[in-house]
Amino acid sequence: MSLSRKQYWIACLFLLPAFVIFGMFFFYPFLQSIYYSFTEWNGVKTPRYVGLSNYRYLFQDVQMLDGMKNTLKMVVFGLLVQNPLALLLAVLLNKKFRTRGFLRTSFYLPVIISLVVTSVVWGEILKFDGFANGILTRIIGEANVQDWLGTVYTSFPTIILLTQWQAIGYCAVIYLAGLQAIPTDIYEAADIEGAKGIALFRHVTFPMLMPSFTIVLFLTIVGALRLFDLPFLLTNGGPGSSSYTIFLAVYNAAFKNQSYGYATAGSIVLTVFIIAVTVIQLSITRRREVEL
Amino acid sequence: MGLNKRPSLLLEGVLLLFALAFLFPVVFLLEMSFKEPRYFFKPYALPHSLYFDYYRAAFRDMDFFRGLSNTVLITAGALLLTIIVASMAGYVLSRRTERLFRFAYLFFLSGMVIPGVGSLIPLFRMAVDIHLMNTRTLLVLIYTAGFIPFASFLYAAFTKSIPRELEESANLDGCGPMRLYWMIIFPLLLPATGTFIVTNVYGVWNDFLTPLIFLNNPARMTLMPQIVQFMFNKQSVNYGPVFAVSVLAVVPLIVLFAFTQKYMLRGLTAGAVKG
Repeated sequence: MSLSRKQYWIACLFLLPAFVIFGMFFFYPFLQSIYYSFTEWNGVKTPRYVGLSNYRYLFQDVQMLDGMKNTLKMVVFGLLVQNPLALLLAVLLNKKFRTRGFLRTSFYLPVIISLVVTSVVWGEILKFDGFANGILTRIIGEANVQDWLGTVYTSFPTIILLTQWQAIGYCAVIYLAGLQAIPTDIYEAADIEGAKGIALFRHVTFPMLMPSFTIVLFLTIVGALRLFDLPFLLTNGGPGSSSYTIFLAVYNAAFKNQSYGYATAGSIVLTVFIIAVTVIQLSITRRREVEL
Repeated sequence: MGLNKRPSLLLEGVLLLFALAFLFPVVFLLEMSFKEPRYFFKPYALPHSLYFDYYRAAFRDMDFFRGLSNTVLITAGALLLTIIVASMAGYVLSRRTERLFRFAYLFFLSGMVIPGVGSLIPLFRMAVDIHLMNTRTLLVLIYTAGFIPFASFLYAAFTKSIPRELEESANLDGCGPMRLYWMIIFPLLLPATGTFIVTNVYGVWNDFLTPLIFLNNPARMTLMPQIVQFMFNKQSVNYGPVFAVSVLAVVPLIVLFAFTQKYMLRGLTAGAVKG
């Protein structure tokens, strides 16, 4: 065997373990999901082909419908509120405050704390006789007390706010890294030209931050689509189905009701959403980023 | 807005207030875990003395160390296995141009696009069929499979900075491919390994969903589902031990964060750009 031939086979051996593990524990089950989504399957009996009926049922199922509505709300909120706030926070954290280290750590700390612990703490703070209502009673009176996680009107908005506590530091840090990557001579040049304040931000900072925008927007949207832990732990989708997300509805359909075929149809719909976002983001990023 | 001007004290004050509000739940967690039961129902009363009973109860009733050792084993196992297989794959992906390797690149790229939720349910079925249900091995394999696309692209990108001449001269000196890789190339890829660990250790440690689905045996349970189970099993309203366990589960991560904070920013952007 020639040397180059031998090297080729050695390279194949290097690739093999990753190829097999990824294929077997990620890609192959994904293909199976597509197949199962067209079947009625309880996990025990042989799957029975039912065509598109699982997909049709998705749009009649109250939990799934509320899940889609909430997931969409979360996406819109992420785009319109979370992102601008994260950017503002990053711009502020980039300033030369004396307490800059402390500020950055405080806003980033929730990111590394698990969602389980997050829901333990916030569940305790927000319960009816908990800390939040205690403070509210003292400051603005009993009338403002709410059962934050227990009413149809407040449960999902409360969960959205909690995701902000969790995620905003993460987005801000990525913007911060983007801000720090902008060379200072650009600002010096703009300073000489007389650009100040808002104009400086609009014409210099904003365009230079484009790569960070694509990343953060992507993370916010996919994060919103994947929302599961907080509603699962804090409200279990309730009261009623007011705080369901698609992911939570899929989880319940599969592991609570054993409707695996139906649940895979839900997971495929979610997957299609996420793929669409990813492909759009990748194509934008590809166009902008230089090979590293 | 001059460049070298210090921002105003008022702005800093407002930000500090927000920062304290952000820190409050963390302080609250810590405070509640040390609070005597008779003050527990007055959430806004500070503890009068440090009260360690919840920590004792946590060790007694829940077997914290078993959960901790499962979490450590699974986290370390998944990161280690990913580092081994993805670094080897990433290395050849960036060095070879044959059709097979271009295909493998696209194959892994699909894993960046397809979310894990798409594979979850059939994986559950498969785990039962291949008798890996309720094993730590299964969790390690699932996490590794999920990490492989990102990690191998990260390694491929870093491999490009290693000159090929290095490999050629090692070849001339009679160094075999395995030795060449593990003694010469892999150490040079250390920054990629660091980046990978720093940005992904939290995800595995904190993951709740995967162990919830694939580990039903309490002896194999990791910390996060263990905390939830502990909370739901307790019929009494006393959350003290739950808070104590939560503190214990968070402390290792905070310690790690304190030491790796400066790599974090760099790692996040490297990962995010590739992602």
